[in-house]
Amino acid sequence: MQAQVPALDFEESGFRPAPRFRILRELGHKKIAMVGIVIITIFYLFGIFSPWLATHDPNQQQLVVEARYAGPSSDHWFGTDRAGRDLYSRIVYAARTTLLFTLVVIVTGSFLIGLSLGLIAGYRGGWIDTLIMRVGEVLSSIPTLFLIIAISAAFRTRISDFVFTLKEDTFLGDDARAIVPFLIIVLASLPFAWFGSARIVRSQVLAIREQEYVLAAETIGVSTARLLARHIFPGVLPIFLVGLSASMAGIAFLEVALSYLGLGVDPATQSFGTLIFEAGRVRTFQQFPHVLMFSGIPLSLFFFSWTLLGDALVDVVEPRTYRR
Amino acid sequence: MSQGLAGYIIRRLLWTVPVIVAISILVFLLLRLGPLDPVESILGQRYTEEGADRLREKYGYDRPVHIQYLKYVQNLFQGDLGVSTRHQNFTVAEVVIPKIRVSAGMGVMAMVLVFGLGVPAGVFAALRRGTFLDPLTIGFWLLIDSVPVLISAIWAQWLFALQFGWVDLTYGGVFHPNIILPVFVMSLPGVAGVARLMRASVIQVSTEDYVRTARSKGLREQTVVVSHVVRNALLPMITVIGLALPGIFAGALFTELLFGIPGIAREALQAVLAPDFDVVLGLVLFGSILFVFANILVDVAYGFIDPRIRLSAARGS
Repeated sequence: MQAQVPALDFEESGFRPAPRFRILRELGHKKIAMVGIVIITIFYLFGIFSPWLATHDPNQQQLVVEARYAGPSSDHWFGTDRAGRDLYSRIVYAARTTLLFTLVVIVTGSFLIGLSLGLIAGYRGGWIDTLIMRVGEVLSSIPTLFLIIAISAAFRTRISDFVFTLKEDTFLGDDARAIVPFLIIVLASLPFAWFGSARIVRSQVLAIREQEYVLAAETIGVSTARLLARHIFPGVLPIFLVGLSASMAGIAFLEVALSYLGLGVDPATQSFGTLIFEAGRVRTFQQFPHVLMFSGIPLSLFFFSWTLLGDALVDVVEPRTYRR
Repeated sequence: MSQGLAGYIIRRLLWTVPVIVAISILVFLLLRLGPLDPVESILGQRYTEEGADRLREKYGYDRPVHIQYLKYVQNLFQGDLGVSTRHQNFTVAEVVIPKIRVSAGMGVMAMVLVFGLGVPAGVFAALRRGTFLDPLTIGFWLLIDSVPVLISAIWAQWLFALQFGWVDLTYGGVFHPNIILPVFVMSLPGVAGVARLMRASVIQVSTEDYVRTARSKGLREQTVVVSHVVRNALLPMITVIGLALPGIFAGALFTELLFGIPGIAREALQAVLAPDFDVVLGLVLFGSILFVFANILVDVAYGFIDPRIRLSAARGS
């Protein structure tokens, strides 16, 4: 027999769990948020394990008439596209591109650049605050999508030599052809990806800086780095995550839009953008609806889930504004 | 107080000058120093060194970048936006202005539609708070918002043009009935944002004292909702007009591409890809000025609505 562990009664003992667990716990009670989290997790699992989940080589073409635009079958679960490639495998690999792109842009743009600049701007104030915010304002006053298109287009025209050099002279080998275009769209997106989170973080830092525990920490001579990391960062994190989940769909869409326009990832790398482009216009859709349906629905669900999660997070983090 | 607001507006307007200058320098440098070459694409197959040099001299691309920029600014002050290299023999103004007309027309229609659908949806959701109808309404519009225009445009074209035959897909001008479908496609994703804000605003207003007073003096519920709650809840929505502009601009690109509409977004894309330097610059400056002024409008509108914000703005932020 196992000993019964008595359930802890938080209310009675007067002990309350730390606030960060409160957010996770309250999120768990929201069914809509859980739906979002489940869909996002499935999507990302497909992205992580795509080589094992794909049933075919996504680039393997079958150029016989009956194999092109074939409907769903037991061999090709989602059917095939115009070149007879297995649609299911292409979508699974497209999820991987989306995963990589959002991850890289979020980690570098929102997290490294946005969060740290927001912390510095909010905590330091003065000219460095002015500089950061003004640069951000200038960048966010430009029609973003077009500048990203311009930068991607500018750097694409001269990449083939560069790719060849990388392929011959570095360990990258054949991967260079996939990596270089990917890096171009990441670098084109970064200047515009940091400011949203920097602004949110800064305004939150401004509020926290005046809190007594921060003043107390300052008074006992805690170093700036430790103060930011231990005392201010935890207070900023929830609202930063809200901003992050609200901007995820937009960031993922950048890659889709660029690939759609032929300015994104290498054609041999799968992307929802190229899939949707290759699904054709309305006449093709009328004849072969499965191509656009199967590539459009997972992507829309992915965007939808991030929106749902963002909404639920706002509810949990900022209950005052949205109290039911 | 009003003096503070006037000063604030003047300061914001003055601040737009360096912003616009910075944007123009940034984009100018990106275009001129980047590897895109308009001369190559003009000549195409007929490319020769002499021909390229002649064209570079004609368009002034052979001069140092800062001289080119100063020349551009000088022309700008004389109302000359430069010449298009993609549309030979046309000035930027001749290329861009008809397209701005088309986009502005569609933008206004889209804005009306977004508000016409979003405001009632938000009020409905707020009034049904606590029932399943509230999350259902907002969730429905969020789902619509999640389908990229790239996909929804094709679905809409198939459904309304090929299945029902209500419209056909040729472009016949901004005032032709065929414009209805593209306007719907580009507006529907924006409805969710308006509905959500309107919902929050109605909920906020419902807790105000004057609403309780109106109820307690025995006004009919309908009167309370329409003339006390909704009217006051509409005020903050002014700011959404400014916030919605960039979204409409971005959604317009794929709508214009998929419906073959000659608007500024499609022109901007083609100008970037051509490349057509002066047209890109002209359109980016136009877009940026629009954004900057929309933002000022938003802040000033906030200031009018919420005096606390007006105060902090007057102190200078």
